[in-house]
Amino acid sequence: MITGQKFVEGKGTYVDDINLPGMLYMAIVRSPYSRAKIASLKGGLNSSDYEGRMASVGEGGSGEINIYSEPVFAQGYTSYLGQPVAAVFGEDRYKAEDLLNSVDVEYEPLKPVMEIDAALKADPIHPGTKNNILIDKWVGKEFKDTSSPIVLEDSFYNRRVATNPMEPRGVVATYDGNRLTMWASSQSSQSIKEGLVEAMNLSPDSVRVIQADTGGGFGLKGGLHPEYVIAAHAAMKYKRPVKWIETRSEHLSSSNPGRGARADIKIFAGKNGIINGVTGEVYVDAGAYGGFGEFAPRFIAYQLTGPYAIPNGYVRAIATLTNKVPQGPYRGAGRPEASYFIERMVDLLADELKMDPADVRIANMSSEPFKSPLGLEIGAAKPFFQDALKEFEYGKRFTSDTAGLGFFVLVPGIGPGEGARIKIEKGRVKVWLGGDTAGQGHQEFVRTLIREELGIASDLVELQLGDTDAVKRGVGAWGSRSAITAGAAVIAASGKIKDMVIKDFGDYSPENALSGSYDIDHFEEMKGTLNSFGANIAVADVSPLGAIRVKDCWSYYDVGRVLSKESVWGQIMGGIVQGIGQVVSEEIAYSDEGELLTGSIADSGVLSADQVPNFVVKVAENRSDLPHGVKGLGEAPTIGVPSALVRSIEKVTGKRIRDTPVRPEDIAEDF
Amino acid sequence: MNGIIYVIFIVSAMTITPSVFEYYTPSTMVEAVNLLEKYGDEAKLLAGGQSLIPLMKMRFASISHVIDISRIEEMDYIKEDSNRLSIGALTTVDELGSSVTIKNRYMIIKEAADQIADPLVRNMGTVGGNISHGDPANDLPAVMLSLDATFMVQGKNGGKEIKAEDFFVDSLITALEPNEILYEIRVPKMVKRQGGAYIKHKKSAGDFSVAAVASNIIVDGDGKIIKVGVALTSVGPTPIKSTRAEGILAGKKLTEELAAEAARSITEESDPVSDFYGSIDYKKKVLRFIIKESLVAAYKRAKEAQ
Repeated sequence: MITGQKFVEGKGTYVDDINLPGMLYMAIVRSPYSRAKIASLKGGLNSSDYEGRMASVGEGGSGEINIYSEPVFAQGYTSYLGQPVAAVFGEDRYKAEDLLNSVDVEYEPLKPVMEIDAALKADPIHPGTKNNILIDKWVGKEFKDTSSPIVLEDSFYNRRVATNPMEPRGVVATYDGNRLTMWASSQSSQSIKEGLVEAMNLSPDSVRVIQADTGGGFGLKGGLHPEYVIAAHAAMKYKRPVKWIETRSEHLSSSNPGRGARADIKIFAGKNGIINGVTGEVYVDAGAYGGFGEFAPRFIAYQLTGPYAIPNGYVRAIATLTNKVPQGPYRGAGRPEASYFIERMVDLLADELKMDPADVRIANMSSEPFKSPLGLEIGAAKPFFQDALKEFEYGKRFTSDTAGLGFFVLVPGIGPGEGARIKIEKGRVKVWLGGDTAGQGHQEFVRTLIREELGIASDLVELQLGDTDAVKRGVGAWGSRSAITAGAAVIAASGKIKDMVIKDFGDYSPENALSGSYDIDHFEEMKGTLNSFGANIAVADVSPLGAIRVKDCWSYYDVGRVLSKESVWGQIMGGIVQGIGQVVSEEIAYSDEGELLTGSIADSGVLSADQVPNFVVKVAENRSDLPHGVKGLGEAPTIGVPSALVRSIEKVTGKRIRDTPVRPEDIAEDF
Repeated sequence: MNGIIYVIFIVSAMTITPSVFEYYTPSTMVEAVNLLEKYGDEAKLLAGGQSLIPLMKMRFASISHVIDISRIEEMDYIKEDSNRLSIGALTTVDELGSSVTIKNRYMIIKEAADQIADPLVRNMGTVGGNISHGDPANDLPAVMLSLDATFMVQGKNGGKEIKAEDFFVDSLITALEPNEILYEIRVPKMVKRQGGAYIKHKKSAGDFSVAAVASNIIVDGDGKIIKVGVALTSVGPTPIKSTRAEGILAGKKLTEELAAEAARSITEESDPVSDFYGSIDYKKKVLRFIIKESLVAAYKRAKEAQ
């Protein structure tokens, strides 16, 4: 059976398939303006009933609530188009949406602050704050470079991109008088629980979050959202189950998009192509509230030397508040931005020195491990890159005239580890992980590891969906971490079971294990880094009107040991499509007046099948030091593809490319 | 004029269910006309539903009486006689694109039909709906303008003909009265040495166009242009029929230079807006490119058509 066959056959149980007796359906009244004063508000559940704010949980989350935390309902004014103002509840979806008209809101529109540069100058969007700067920190160490003969500067912008999972967000919340239970489409039931506990001031014992089958996450479904708190609050208040399922329009206006990062970068280099230092500013458009935006600029800055051994680095990391939906993690979550910025500069240096981009890269690689002045630790880059050039037949199959080359380091999110529980009962094995699979096929690596560690056949092993009652402690499925961390936890739990079987039977055999009852819930503490390299080649065709068609896209990633070829290849191909999408069309855009320009899935630029190129997927299986030998994978393509593809577009059109997506009119021929 | 019944909310609607409505399924055109007469402004015809249903689900349109005419068999046909091609309004876009008559002799119509949205939409969407919705981004209106088509309309008090060039009044507004129904599209029969082409420039498959152009050309035995019709999609509040094309091109043989000159001039007749599909300047650049392309293709086909 192929991974996901049940989904293809329509046999999944998504959160919208969960129906409880007496369930209410929730619909949200959302701000039609990017910024407005709420002059009056009558009807529905609103901030007069619930004043809480959201806790920052999930990837890059601080776990805390501060003055920049998003209120669950807009309080007196709205700060982004789509912000929840009130909620209504009907017996079914139709009746709930009918009730939207029963809420009477009078808005006084205000001039919104829509871009980073405007935010730096504008009065604060939130009363009682000094300015629109959420974060402003320097990373690295100040240096003076007066001797490098080559000094290059440029500015880049990765515009915002919707996460656009096939299944939008959704929850069902119910309360029995003692405990709140929430089913969610999720990457991390553990984080959602942590967020609910924190935001609603509940005791951890009184909240259970259960994952439903999840149709994609890409970062969005690892954290808490206002709608989840509203549904939970309503379930407790009305003592009836409450369902909320996001529409695509809500997704595009009101869910956290990724990217939205700009940079002004300066590099100092010798005429031999060796880069002596990098400085500059990284700006993240955090949107209207804190959360991931507090983490992102420093994370980008920290990676700004990329896979290169650049000895000096000093980067200012800034996040600004704007009247847009808060930024969130999107596949890569800071990694693609950092890679894009440095790769664009390296290509610029190659052009300046009339060197082959591959040679400039090699000139800046170490054959030894390297710790960057910005704190990034990498292994020996040069041997891997040279292998990549061979795999690509660089210089023969592809040349720098038309092909774009991208080289990157993938920094997986390892700390603080991950949880896993293995339960053997009645001859079958059930496994729970601390992070929730959202379609990546975690079941495949779990089965491989159980087969290897316990000798138990895959058809006896079932991965269970996330459940905070089933696993004591867990983190989440993001940051290219699941096979590394959850895999390590599965191995450690298997070891404990083995010991117990030996204790019971005198020796270990799968038969002995399956004849007993064992139940181990283990959290594997992990820290440190496990960074790996990847490279891409892309070749684009550009029509006279600026339409981009990707002819070839090759990848060569060091994924460590492959636990499931099907999952690895699937991850790479899907990620390549998203990487291409970011370059050729994906964007969440607003007018200067704050109107949403990308309100449909077509406008948001998701690729259609005819835009998907031929992939050539190659992997290096350089084992890591972990017992199962794996490295990170999931985010590699969205990190590596954009800079490679943009370079090809630049070569084919002869126009310097700075921003994504590349708009057709910026590269159309003149006539 | 079609009374506009759309309630456009300020908010980009975020619903997915329509509000309550009454639903009727007439089996004849007369029944449908009677229902329209009865409910007037509060009613809307539903054919393939490819425009109306999304509007209702997103609650952009609030309609209390939906008259589903998709079961009226007498309005689903493609016929050609010695004078004209007649297309029943309920012919689906897929039927139009798959028709042997259309494929053999009306390539311009086939090219437009095959590029409308995606197969799911083409299976459901109808020719009449594509035209009478009055959306300037729909493809068949420009084709019909270029071909000098006539729209056959039935109301309570009898029928009338409306020329394509008189039909499109403003964005989503046509010359149809609320109690009238478009039942047939008539296109003058293709003559010898006539050719047409529809060029659509879009960002991705299935999307609306950035701009599109329909060109219809008749040449004489020497290859001189006798008659030319050019119309534009997505670049104004209505589909736009060029008034300059005839003056520039009539009596001449088409060269690359002449086609480029005509394209530049016809582009000036457009009235695009800057939006997410591109700026005004970019859309005009697209037009200059595709008008020339479509004229060259239509001219070549006209010369080759016997």
